[in-house]
This record gives sequence, C-alpha cells and structure tokens, in this order.
Amino acid sequence: MASVAEETRPPAEPRRVGRSIIPALPAAAGLVAFFLVPLLVFAVYSVLTAQLYDVSAPFTLDAYGEAVSSRVNRTLATNSAVIGLATAAVTVAVGLPIAYWLRRSAGRLRIPVLFLIIASMFASYLVRIYAWRTVLGANGLINNGLQRLGLIDEPLDFLLYSRFAVAVALVHIFLPYVVLVLYAAMGPLGAGLLEAAQDLGAGSRTLWRRVIIPLMAAPAASAFLFVFILSASDYVTPQFLGGTNGVTLGVQVQVNFRTLGNYPVAAATSILMMAAFLACYLLSSLVLRLLRLQDIRFVN
Amino acid sequence: MNSMNRTRGTGFSRREFLRRAGLTTFTIGATPALLAACGDDTTPATTGPANAGASPSVPPASGTLDYFSWEGYDAPIDEMKAWLADNDVELNSGYIANHDDIQAKLKASNNSEGFDLITYYQGYKPLYAELGILATIDDSKIPNLAGLNEFWTNDPKHQWLNEDGTRTGVPWTFGSIGITYDSTKIDEMSSWFDLLDPSLKGKISMPDDPVGQFTLTAHILDLDPGACPKANLADVVELNSRFVAQAESISPSFGDMTTKLVSGDIVACYQGWAAMNSFAAAEGVDTVKTNLPEEGSFTFADMYAIPTGADNVDTAHAFMNQILEPEVNARLAEFLVGAVTVDAAVDLLNEETLALYPYEDIEGYLALAPLYNNPPIESDEFVTQKEWTDAWQEIKAAGGA
Repeated sequence: MASVAEETRPPAEPRRVGRSIIPALPAAAGLVAFFLVPLLVFAVYSVLTAQLYDVSAPFTLDAYGEAVSSRVNRTLATNSAVIGLATAAVTVAVGLPIAYWLRRSAGRLRIPVLFLIIASMFASYLVRIYAWRTVLGANGLINNGLQRLGLIDEPLDFLLYSRFAVAVALVHIFLPYVVLVLYAAMGPLGAGLLEAAQDLGAGSRTLWRRVIIPLMAAPAASAFLFVFILSASDYVTPQFLGGTNGVTLGVQVQVNFRTLGNYPVAAATSILMMAAFLACYLLSSLVLRLLRLQDIRFVN
Repeated sequence: MNSMNRTRGTGFSRREFLRRAGLTTFTIGATPALLAACGDDTTPATTGPANAGASPSVPPASGTLDYFSWEGYDAPIDEMKAWLADNDVELNSGYIANHDDIQAKLKASNNSEGFDLITYYQGYKPLYAELGILATIDDSKIPNLAGLNEFWTNDPKHQWLNEDGTRTGVPWTFGSIGITYDSTKIDEMSSWFDLLDPSLKGKISMPDDPVGQFTLTAHILDLDPGACPKANLADVVELNSRFVAQAESISPSFGDMTTKLVSGDIVACYQGWAAMNSFAAAEGVDTVKTNLPEEGSFTFADMYAIPTGADNVDTAHAFMNQILEPEVNARLAEFLVGAVTVDAAVDLLNEETLALYPYEDIEGYLALAPLYNNPPIESDEFVTQKEWTDAWQEIKAAGGA
C-alpha cells in the first residue's frame, strides 16, 4: 500500500483511574454477569465428562478431541466459513460506496436514506427471510419476471435453497449495520483532505486507493469481522434458505446440546468457534499492523 | 416425531405460527429457569406403584397446572376451556419447538421447575425412563382409561405401560407419516420409491427430523429403527441419501414444508403428515393430499405424562381424565387433525377427520405403520441416536447421494 497520512502525536497524558471508571461500572457488571460468567460456565462444562443430559468429574479434554476429530464438524465449519466470508466481503464491498455517497454526495437525500436504512432494521428477522423466499422462489418475483420477459423457460433453481440465497439474505440483514458503521467512521473524512489530495494530482481511482481505503481500512476490517462472525455462526437463515447443504456449525452445537444431551461436546464446539473467531480478529489486526494501517488517525 | 415444529390445524393462523416458530425455535433452556408459581395441591409425584386399592375417582382439580410441550397439545378447545374455568384451574403453558426441548429443560433444571404435565412420543419412552423424568400415573384417578380402544390398553413394547403394569403415559392421539403432495401437480404415489423419479429432482422436501428420517428409511428397508444392527447403517444412509439428493431443501418444520407446497416450490414431501392437508387448506390451497404408500411408514402416538418434579399431580390426573372424555377426545383430534384413542370418540368425529384413519381396523393399520422406539442412546449392537444424527448431518452437508 502507498504511503498514507500519519499523525505526529503529542505525548500521552497520564491516565486518571478511580472516579473515571465509576460510570462504566454498571456496564462492566453487566458484561461480567451476562457474558463472562456464562462463558466460564461453558468452559467448565467443556472439560467435564459427559453423562446423558448431565456432566460429572473427572476433568478431561475428550470433548475437544471429539469436536475436532468429527468429520461432521469439519464439514459444517467449512460451510460456515464460506457463508461468512462471502457475506462479509459482499456486505463491506457494497456498504463502503453507499456510506461514502451518504457522506459526500447525498445532499438532501442523506437524512431520508439514513432513515430508510434504520427503518429496515426494525423488520422482523424471520419476516425478512420469508420475504426473500417470495422473491427468489420458483414462482417468485425474479423467476416470474424473467419468464415473462422470455429470458428463461424454466425457473432458476439456484436462486433459492442454496448458499447463494443464504448469502443474499444475510447481506440484506447486515448491510444496514455496515453502512451505519462506515458512515460514522467517515465522519472526519472532510472535504479539505480530499481536495488536498486532488490538488496534488489524485484522480478518483487514486483518491480511493491511496486516501479513502487506507483511512477506512480499520473500520472496514471491523465491519468485515462483525459480519463474518455473525454470518458464520448464523443457523436460522441457512435452515430456511440454505437447501440441503445449508447447515452451519451452530446447528451441530444445538444438536449436541438438545438432541444428544452431550453438554461437554456442545460447549467445546462453541469454545472452539470462539477461538476461531478470535484468531480471525488477531489475524486482521496483524495484517493491518503489517500494512501500517492500524494507527491512522485523521488530522484536524 | 421429535425435531420439528408443529402447528395446530385450523385454530391457528399462519402469521401466528410464523411468529411463534421464530420466537421459540432456537431457544435452548441452558440455565436453570425461575420456578413457576405452583398450584395449591402439594401432592408430589412419585415413582412408586399405582394406588391399586382405591376405588376409581377423579381427584379434584384446582390451582395452576404447569404444562410444557407442543403448542396445541394443551387442548385450547372450547370444551377444555370450559372445564378449566369450571374447576378454577389456571393452565400455565410453556411450549417447545422440538421434542428434545422437554428432556433438555427438565434435566437442565433437575426437574425443579414444577412442571405438572408434559407429553412424549412413544419412541422416547426408553430415553425418558433412563433419565428418570417420568412419574407413575395413578390409573385409579383416570376412570376414563376404561374408554380407550382395546389396542391402547395393551403395550407389549412398554411405551406407556411398564413391565410391572404401572403407567407412565396416557395415549390420547396418534398420527402416521405418509407422502404429502400437491394433487394438481402429481398423481398419488403408491410407493416411497416413486419420489426418486428423475422428474421430481429438486421438487421434494423433508423435515429436518433425524429420528423421523431414520425411522422412516429403516422401515422402508424392513428394519426396526429401535433395534437396527450397526451393519445395516450404511444401507439406511445410502437410501436416505438418495431421497435427500432429490430434495430441493430440508425444511425446519412441517409448517415450512406446507409453505413450500403452497408456494409451488415443491410438489411432494418425504415424511409428510396428514395435518399438512389442513395447514394448506387454511392458506387457501385445498389440493394437498397425504397417502400411505404400499411399504407403510411409522406412527407416532402421543402420551400425556407427569414429570417427577410435578407439584399439582391431582390436577394433572384430572386433566388427563378429561381429555379422554369422548367429546373432548373427538374435538381435540379435529383441532389437531389427528386420531382418537377413545372408542366412543370415533362416532363423534366429523367426516373429514374420520376419514384420516381406518378405525375399523386400527390393529391392521398399525401393523403397516408401527409404533417404533427411537434408536438407543447407547448400544454395542444397534445403531445409536448419535450415530444416526451424525450420519444425518453428513448426508445433509453432502446434499445427499
């Protein structure tokens, strides 16, 4: 990547702890109670010995061995990764230009479009899934339209009950979040910075390649991870739209817990999924660091 | 049937079904829940022998009856609403999205939640017996048991009566699996193998019900799903894979399969259900039919049962006795598009519901569509539930054959 704007930071002031953390205590307590404690319970379950719908001593790593060696888990993990990566890539690729347009060119349309984006998030998750079935189905809007135009003789089967359908629905669901995140991140992307780049000879392609994308790399990476994690762990949409190969790893966690009563394997699979997502986060941080994009700040 | 969302006949709108399916489908009771408000009756559930010496009498019903099972199985029909009101019983219902929610929730809370009434499909009896979650039912408190069809008074497989004669379940309805299809698009099929016709590629569906899929496929291969030798697992996998390869999709519920039939995305179902005829009719499509192919299929019989943590046992007995009133049994079967187990209820059924099952020869019918046990949890000899569930996930992931 070409050089980007960097900031000369003044020396950091010493932090004041104590009273400053008091406002954060309720949120921290909530995080501990509703995230860390359940996570700890899960971790303990994952190293206990499985009984039928129960656990007991001794501690053992058998559940992790079973979770990793399971061929089913590996297949479903691949499904999850494919769906997650495809959804995240498309969502960020589509969301970035939309966010830029909203910031730079929308004008009077900015507020109405933002309102529409936010309003779309109020629709029920299941209603949106079923709406896509109406659009993508054999007798849906797209197939009917194409048949009436004479472009196809038979409905396009791949539109629905496929990974394509899952990705489309998930992009639709997560796009508003990505647009809003990137829109907020572009706040400091002032006209002066872009004009300065153009004054220095940057065309629109160079502007994007050497100014906008480097500045947006970290927020875009965050958005990408956000969508990837949620998509890869989603198992509602694949069940309704994914067809015979639309099963993701989350389903297997459910099966182990609910149908087989094997709590340790269910917990171990969940912990391993979390570890994989954490690894993705660390990898993205490393990539940004190597590309020297992680410390970019806007200059006022 | 276990891993499926069911919806109840004509007394349930599609919108409501979708809403509830979305809210309940993927909730897992992983942590101990708050104790429900308990009824006045402090008679605890026991696992001891029935009270054989007492004269038959229905105990007084009162207080709160905490129910946990399928929505609709809490009998929301006028006759039962009147009974609840007359006895000042408050029915507190918790609903499941999957049969496994029952044992998962009861075990997760160590039966401490005080549920008074549950149901179970007969195939689950061995598992529930092993988990120790079924209390003994006192026959002397349910005099209407005398009205059951003779078939339901015996139980050679011990699915509702234990070997020692004590009772764990009250059979009150049953139903069978068949081929559900859109009669305007295809003709009735006489064999399950007709679904493998190349012309139906990508036009069938099936529920995401591993036990149901295994039970049906094993039955077609003339194997007992509750005692299928491990050497035959590959045969079951191979045949099931062929059906999955024909499928456009695996549906999360029977309601979802109905939606696909109505929208024209599919024309037939492997592991269909007669109730889907009514679901489709409620959506304005009355051309969906269900038939039993020549190879037969399997039957599910639902039992009311009392979990061991129950604290309003007398009211639970009284409720079950009321369900076996002929009029109630008939109305409930119509509501659920199912079958009756009470002899006198047969003559009270409407024409449509009466036509679903051949009451003149129930025994012969159930020989063609037997009441099987689920695969065992553990076994060195037979295919276990885990082995089949893993195989099912692999079949799905591979898209079938």
